[in-house]
Amino acid sequence: MTPILEARNLVVRRGRKDIVSVERFAVESGEVRVVIGPNGAGKSTLLRALNGLYPARGELRFEGDLVRSERDRRRLRRRTAAVFQQPFLLATTVRGNVEAALHRRGFDGAEVHERTAAALDLLGIADLAERRRDGLSGGEAQRVSIARALAGDPVVVFLDEPMAALDPPTRRGLLEDVQRIFAAAGTTVLWVTHDREEAAAVADTVTFLADGRVVQDGSRGDVFNRPASEEVAEYLGVDVWLTGEVVEGPGDALRFVLPDGAALACGEGAPGPAFAVVHPEDVTLLRAQPDAESLSARNVVPVVVAEVRARGRLRLIVLRWHGQPLQALVTRAAADDLDLAAGDELYAAIKAVAVQIVPRAARLGAGSPVDPAGEREW
Amino acid sequence: MHLIWNGIVQAFELLIHGNPLVYSIALRSLQVSVPSILIALAIGVPFATLVALTRFRGRHLVITLINTGMAWPPVVIGLIVALFLWRSGPLGFLDLIYTVRGMIIAQVLIATPIVTGLSLAALQQLDPGYRLQILSFGAGRARLMLLLVREIRVPILAASMAAFGRIIAEVGAATIVGGNIQGQTQVLTTAIVQRTNMGDFAGAIALGVILLLLAFATNLVMTTVQQRSFWVV
Repeated sequence: MTPILEARNLVVRRGRKDIVSVERFAVESGEVRVVIGPNGAGKSTLLRALNGLYPARGELRFEGDLVRSERDRRRLRRRTAAVFQQPFLLATTVRGNVEAALHRRGFDGAEVHERTAAALDLLGIADLAERRRDGLSGGEAQRVSIARALAGDPVVVFLDEPMAALDPPTRRGLLEDVQRIFAAAGTTVLWVTHDREEAAAVADTVTFLADGRVVQDGSRGDVFNRPASEEVAEYLGVDVWLTGEVVEGPGDALRFVLPDGAALACGEGAPGPAFAVVHPEDVTLLRAQPDAESLSARNVVPVVVAEVRARGRLRLIVLRWHGQPLQALVTRAAADDLDLAAGDELYAAIKAVAVQIVPRAARLGAGSPVDPAGEREW
Repeated sequence: MHLIWNGIVQAFELLIHGNPLVYSIALRSLQVSVPSILIALAIGVPFATLVALTRFRGRHLVITLINTGMAWPPVVIGLIVALFLWRSGPLGFLDLIYTVRGMIIAQVLIATPIVTGLSLAALQQLDPGYRLQILSFGAGRARLMLLLVREIRVPILAASMAAFGRIIAEVGAATIVGGNIQGQTQVLTTAIVQRTNMGDFAGAIALGVILLLLAFATNLVMTTVQQRSFWVV
């Protein structure tokens, strides 16, 4: 299927520097694609280039058609919508804001009124219709901005850190509402955020951007559970890094070996220096060593409890294994049942497939800089 | 003090009894300054928007000239305009010297830099995100400019009041270009100078009070419009 939005060899240049340089970027119909990365990665620049707001080199296609001229970019902008971190409401009422955008998008007459009323209702702000922008809270203003964006049934919604300026309770409420609305309508969304929890909550697919280049691109599960590099894993909050080497064992077995010789069975990975990532959710704790044949987990290792940290209704158990850190996430009840305390000696059971191998200093999927002479600027 | 009091009393007597000469002078002041400020707005606001939104070589110089223009002495503007409109000047064939229209040209040149400079400053204060947001609606350049101007309508009104205050109160350009001809080009400021030179201080004060009342009345209207635009519901 043709992507709704597709860019090839996209380069955004400022002065002599390529701020963004991406070989290929595509958004499929109905997809919520999240672009995540650190500040200064070029996420907003990428979004604005794809929305036709910034000039860029390379090839951009919208609904299969090439976007070449300012006229094409205006057509793209009319059929899509953008919401920024600040709402940028016009100096008029809430209703006036939504209507102004609809008029620019080519709607008029009774349809403007109907769509405005429907959009305000959808975001739960119909009662604010006659209020002016200065009389709105931050959350209300952002709801108006989203209503303004959705009123025209855009083909793609571009969201540039839409929740970043909101306090946590407001953010949670709006995030839930927006997710529900997008899911019900099958809206195609390109969502830029630096917040990994937000990304994990909303994304179908994730693109990790750093220094204007794609570092990893894939489904939410792929990127969050199998980060392609140390940079991605650190950013996404992987706290457990084991440093060692992948070696091939008898048969097809792969082992991740620590410098002191201790080893974990792992499912996949190329032989050589690597990091091993073990998510706390994948570690099971036992008071006694189990019978190896009664367990599917290939790794049962002795560990010592370093610390027990509260995390709401859960407990994060910080462990030490051969001087290396491991973590286990358990319920409060489980922690109470095991009567865990610092210094306790336990066993940790880890499945081989849960030991994820990250090649050391690896960067996958990076777009290469493009020769500017060969590309048109659009 | 006696002189000032006489002047104030005379001012109200002239107004209440409807002195035709005073009314015609006051009306002529408005006939010169109101069209001037409207023309200045029509030129200055779009030009300010264009400069604010466009990157071009020499932009810095243009902005410097605009800001410098805000401080141009009205009498110097009047002199330059008069040199052009003089019968022997390059635009003498237009027969505009010593006419109301000639005075309007001079006051437009005084008011336009003020309107342009203050509008430009207001636009540059606006968050650049507004431009992107309006463009994201699919707005073209013209609609973008219109919507941005709407965002700064309160500062534009302030710029209008500042410029109007400058031109209705100026005497240099009005004298040089208009000639202060009674019944034809005499306005309140030039009439005040004339009465003072004649020793009619009470009459000069009276006209001064009328000028203040006129300035107050026009600014009351503009302030009401400005504050209504600003008021939060």
